[in-house]
Amino acid sequence: MKTQHIKKTMMILIVSVSSVLLWQSCTQQEQSRTYSDLTSEVTGEVIAELTDAPFVPARITAKHNTKVIVHLEVIEQPMRLADGVEYTFWTFGGKVPGKFIRVRQGDQVEFHLHNHPDNMLPHNIDLHAVTGPGGGAEASLVAPGKSAQFSFRALNQGLYVYHCATAPVGMHIANGMYGLILVEPLEGLPAVDHEFYVMQSEFYTSGGFGQKGHQEFDMQKALDERPDYVVMNGAVGASAGENAMKVKVGESVRLYLGNGGPNLVSSFHVIGEIFDKVYVEGGTLINRDVQTTLIPAGGSAIAEFTCEVPGTLHLVDHSIFRAFNKGALAQIKVVGDENHQVFTGKEKEEVYLPEGSAIQRISSGKQAAASSEPIPEKSLNERLEAGAILYKQNCMACHMDHGGGIPGTFPTLVNSDFLKARADKGIGIILEGLQGEITVNGSNYNNIMPAVALNDDQVASILTYVFNRFENGGGHIKAAEVAEWRNKK
Amino acid sequence: MKRIVTSAIFFLLLGCCDLQAQHPGMKTIPAGTYKPLMKTVADEITVGSFLLDEKPVTNAQFKAFTDARAEWSPTRVKALFADNQYLQHWDSSGAWTDEIDLMPVVYVSWFAAKAYCSWLGKRLPTLDEWEYAAAGKPEPGQNISSTETLILNWYSRMSGENHLSGSIYRNEYGLWDMHGLVWEWVYDFNRVVSNDDSRNSEEIPSGLFCGSASLNSAGASDYASFIRYAFRGSITGNYTMRRLGFRCAQSVQQ
Repeated sequence: MKTQHIKKTMMILIVSVSSVLLWQSCTQQEQSRTYSDLTSEVTGEVIAELTDAPFVPARITAKHNTKVIVHLEVIEQPMRLADGVEYTFWTFGGKVPGKFIRVRQGDQVEFHLHNHPDNMLPHNIDLHAVTGPGGGAEASLVAPGKSAQFSFRALNQGLYVYHCATAPVGMHIANGMYGLILVEPLEGLPAVDHEFYVMQSEFYTSGGFGQKGHQEFDMQKALDERPDYVVMNGAVGASAGENAMKVKVGESVRLYLGNGGPNLVSSFHVIGEIFDKVYVEGGTLINRDVQTTLIPAGGSAIAEFTCEVPGTLHLVDHSIFRAFNKGALAQIKVVGDENHQVFTGKEKEEVYLPEGSAIQRISSGKQAAASSEPIPEKSLNERLEAGAILYKQNCMACHMDHGGGIPGTFPTLVNSDFLKARADKGIGIILEGLQGEITVNGSNYNNIMPAVALNDDQVASILTYVFNRFENGGGHIKAAEVAEWRNKK
Repeated sequence: MKRIVTSAIFFLLLGCCDLQAQHPGMKTIPAGTYKPLMKTVADEITVGSFLLDEKPVTNAQFKAFTDARAEWSPTRVKALFADNQYLQHWDSSGAWTDEIDLMPVVYVSWFAAKAYCSWLGKRLPTLDEWEYAAAGKPEPGQNISSTETLILNWYSRMSGENHLSGSIYRNEYGLWDMHGLVWEWVYDFNRVVSNDDSRNSEEIPSGLFCGSASLNSAGASDYASFIRYAFRGSITGNYTMRRLGFRCAQSVQQ
């Protein structure tokens, strides 16, 4: 029995080893085609244009290989991670993700890494595009107030991640030290109308998602791989809302996608589009008609599509809780004329009630209250300030930033006769949820709003914000009123 | 902090008072052992008893030195011994206040720090002495949960050098601000990136980069210490920096 098993294993081993050898000889041939020819002449020099996400530098148009000089500055500084949340980021160039670098296959890159004198720590850079020890890490280790220089030849085409590799590597990456470098063919990638830079990454903070104030790095959460934030382009909403990328109907888009990690793999998806073309893992293999593409931590992908219809495209990690609860969302706004041959919009809506179905609640109001600590009553201004942030986190997705909702689907909160008529000032709606047919300012709605798991203080702040900002006659709702209502039930 | 420190407390009790009377501003560190971060060095390192400055050297103290030894003044120092940022904060900080007197001196090179110590009949602590002394636990009652948290918060706060020397915390040896104020020079700061075995001379630096760090270290999650070692690996003797100061040590006369 045992010897048979060993024989079998040996056979498998032999077969797999020989097939690996076979495969290797093939790939070696193929690789020699994609390698840059080292004998090609490098003439002239240019200073590389570097850009912050979501923008991409223009390609270098010289017909020959050239020397590209890159100056990248490491800056440690506190910045916004989410509304009301600050974090001390370690950056390549002052933002997260780091500056986008663009060179061509065969170019000679002269790299200068500057460590700002106000920084605390030594840093270096490991560019995955470099063929050489540590990707340049050892050659670029530099103390605060110093600069390091090294050079490399961009041998392989592709989209590569760069990151800091100074010990402890995990912490340098977790604090924001990564970016992308594109090595394109000498003649450039095919022309498109727009190119954008989007990089996903996680943050591990001492407080949970949305907890206000300055947050420290939490090492235990990083070891456990349990991030509080998963974001696109370095902060919640960095490339969404007002900062969304903008294109017109009919235009083609190329996305340079990266994943800085430090831990998670991204299931990158654009809600409302299909990728016509994906350069798998940022290399030269092209896959077509793709819905979701994996981007490994420390890896990349290039995705291309054409925007046929107007609307907002949501770029998400389809490990979906990360998108809607931890911030992994960016947006592209497509403006232009409708094309009903491609997409009609909603044609008809009917009530559908299958037998025995019940609506699940997120949480009952009482449970949320039980776990919360007593919080002192806020002033009106404090309520409005807190309410503005809480509204964005909890309400804006349906009722919209302007409070006007979406006609026919989500009711308006602006000068709402429905809200003003309620004796509970809306407290019951947030604590208990609301479903069924209602009439707001003359329009009918038949939809479901789930109960929202917020504490008394938060409910009071949101409602005070809604009554004051959306022309509902003002007022100041106190946490005590919410508590009273909650206990009465 | 996963270092295990076993200290000979009896030695301290017997020897301390006598010695300290002769060395104001210094504390006697008892002999003991500590676990170094790099396993490649040894599992445990024995450190003999020595004296160490209670606080990092201040601007006022260093000013007295450069006044007495003009070859170390900012205008006359040789480029070989200090880069062009040497003591630049003395120039740019405007009015010299009493507070500046008491802040730790920074923008000093290893050569200058060493010269200062020998001017006083002292020396720089060795890396082992410094690490061993810095592993001392915070004295209770200072509202510090752990040295590691203190260090990590210091990295993200980035403002230590603007505090007074002797204002952050005191440890069990009576030493102030071993962490949380400024980085400090040690005599053999570059030891972690060189090695007795020349065959390995190219391998050792990478011991602190990337994957090998987790294989060679005693505590892979001791991020606070990794950063200190990486910092030492990034500097050379004539470097001066905004957040780098020092304190002196002295051997105990046997």
